[in-house]
Amino acid sequence: MLATHQLRAGYGSVAVLFDVDIAVGAGESIAIIGANGAGKSTLVRAICGLIPSMAGTIEKEGRPIQSLPPHARAEHGVAVVLEGRHLFGELSLESNLRIAETQGSKRRNARFDFSFEDVLDLFPFMRGRLGAPVGVFSGGEQQMVAIGRALLLKPDLLILDEPSTGLAPKVVREIVAVIQTLRQKGMSLLLIEQHIGVASECSDRAYVMSLGKIVKELDSTDWHDQSLLAEITQAYLG
Amino acid sequence: MTLTLLVQSVLAGLTNGFVYGLIGLGIAVVFRGARIINAMQGDLALIGSVVAYLIAVSLGLPMILGFLLGVVAGGVTGFLVDRLMIRPTAKRRGTEDSFLLVTLGGAFAVSATVLLYFGRDSYVLPGIGGNAMVDVFDAAMRVHAIWLIVISTGVVLALRWFYAKTAIGQAMLAASIDPEGALTLGINVGWMRTMTLALGGLVGGLAGVLVAPLINIQYEMGLLLTLKGFAAAILGGLTSPFGAIFGGVILGLVEALAVVTISSGYKDVVAMTLLIAIMIAMPQGLFGRRGRLGG
Ligand SMILES: Nc1ncnc2c1ncn2[C@@H]1O[C@H](COP(=O)(O)OP(=O)(O)OP(=O)(O)O)[C@@H](O)[C@H]1O
Ligand SMILES: [Mg+2]
Repeated sequence: MLATHQLRAGYGSVAVLFDVDIAVGAGESIAIIGANGAGKSTLVRAICGLIPSMAGTIEKEGRPIQSLPPHARAEHGVAVVLEGRHLFGELSLESNLRIAETQGSKRRNARFDFSFEDVLDLFPFMRGRLGAPVGVFSGGEQQMVAIGRALLLKPDLLILDEPSTGLAPKVVREIVAVIQTLRQKGMSLLLIEQHIGVASECSDRAYVMSLGKIVKELDSTDWHDQSLLAEITQAYLG
Repeated sequence: MTLTLLVQSVLAGLTNGFVYGLIGLGIAVVFRGARIINAMQGDLALIGSVVAYLIAVSLGLPMILGFLLGVVAGGVTGFLVDRLMIRPTAKRRGTEDSFLLVTLGGAFAVSATVLLYFGRDSYVLPGIGGNAMVDVFDAAMRVHAIWLIVISTGVVLALRWFYAKTAIGQAMLAASIDPEGALTLGINVGWMRTMTLALGGLVGGLAGVLVAPLINIQYEMGLLLTLKGFAAAILGGLTSPFGAIFGGVILGLVEALAVVTISSGYKDVVAMTLLIAIMIAMPQGLFGRRGRLGG
């Protein structure tokens, strides 16, 4: 579904990512964990084109996309919920969703065809608040708007950058439930998380990132082995 | 002061107010859609009126053709401003100040070009209904001024509808509120900015063909219009189309009352004093949102 090869990217002329190789198979959910400043969000921004790649390739289903402008990558089925969400705060919830719906309607024959109604079914709280500006929503609600908005793009791959950070435990459970629903539907996911428990629960495999490099790959067995996770937390997330 | 004199000055203020409002409208469109203060807005009007003059007066073609092409010339210029000035500046990571400065440079360039080819003379563009007047409570008002008010109001309503109800208008808003968020949705933010400047240019061209019959075309008119239009837009909160027109009308009326109560020489002083007072007392303008909502 998505693969990076020897990807190098950063800000200005300073590289932050070095030779990053990751792969997300179709229908797979992959986590990337790492300490603050490891370069996780930088990887997300490079994949969706908000920062240019300096070297290496990014392939979506075998097609190189690293030289496409960011807006074209969404049309190739890569949707992302950025860190900080980047909603249109002064516009209403309905506007936020409709803008995404219009963009999503440009994708024909998409594998996952989320409609406006489907998103409201996934996040029932939205029904009563369509007219409210999303800027006044709580952090959890905004996160859900951001996820709903991304789903309306009918993506093949959804990238979530720290969806649980800063949210109350109860809200985290709701987000986890939504992620599990998406996995059951077979959507490919790339999940960035600092919360290793949530990450392990929501994904099949994981990469550990440190100082801009992938320093460890965890297969399904290791990634769900609680004692190993404790060690990893000690070593890389401490 | 007689009632007729009062009515006469209110009508004059109203007309001028819509002139300022129309320029302010273009400034608000561009600021709302691209976070750029376009100091060329008055010069887009100059271009629109010059093109209308060349077609309708110099070439003697139908007035309506002159009007339409004047508006189109504004739009095309807006497009070119983005391509030739804003885009290269943005590529070099220009900030809001650098956009203001390059458009200010553009404003002087337009003014100098008109001076070069037309000299210091002023030119009269015929208005809608020629010089016909109508009586309003014993005072006289030009038919053209009434058309100016009607058309401006129509444009404001059309713009409100455009931003609130059309997919492209919503995408333009999204691109300006959060460019990165918009990019991740597949919105071509650069193109939205180009279209915003072209739209601002159309409004500027329209302002030109509507304003020129009232104030005459002259190479310096652009910067003066920009200043008054900017004041109108600021009064209206800088992002609201409705606010810009309303701000313009307030400005026009205050000026008109200053003329009858103090002296015509103090007109601009009063207008700018009002602007400064409003900016100090209400930095968000009369219609601005109190503190932008975070996303
Ligand atoms: N806009 C920027 N300009 C310059 N350097 C940046 C920028 N954003 C991030 N960096 C640097 O890049 C490195 C990686 O940052 P990044 O945001 O990718 O980390 P992260 O793993 O997402 O951390 P966190 O868990 O805190 O979100 C850091 O050293 C950071 O200082
Ligand atoms: Mg991050």
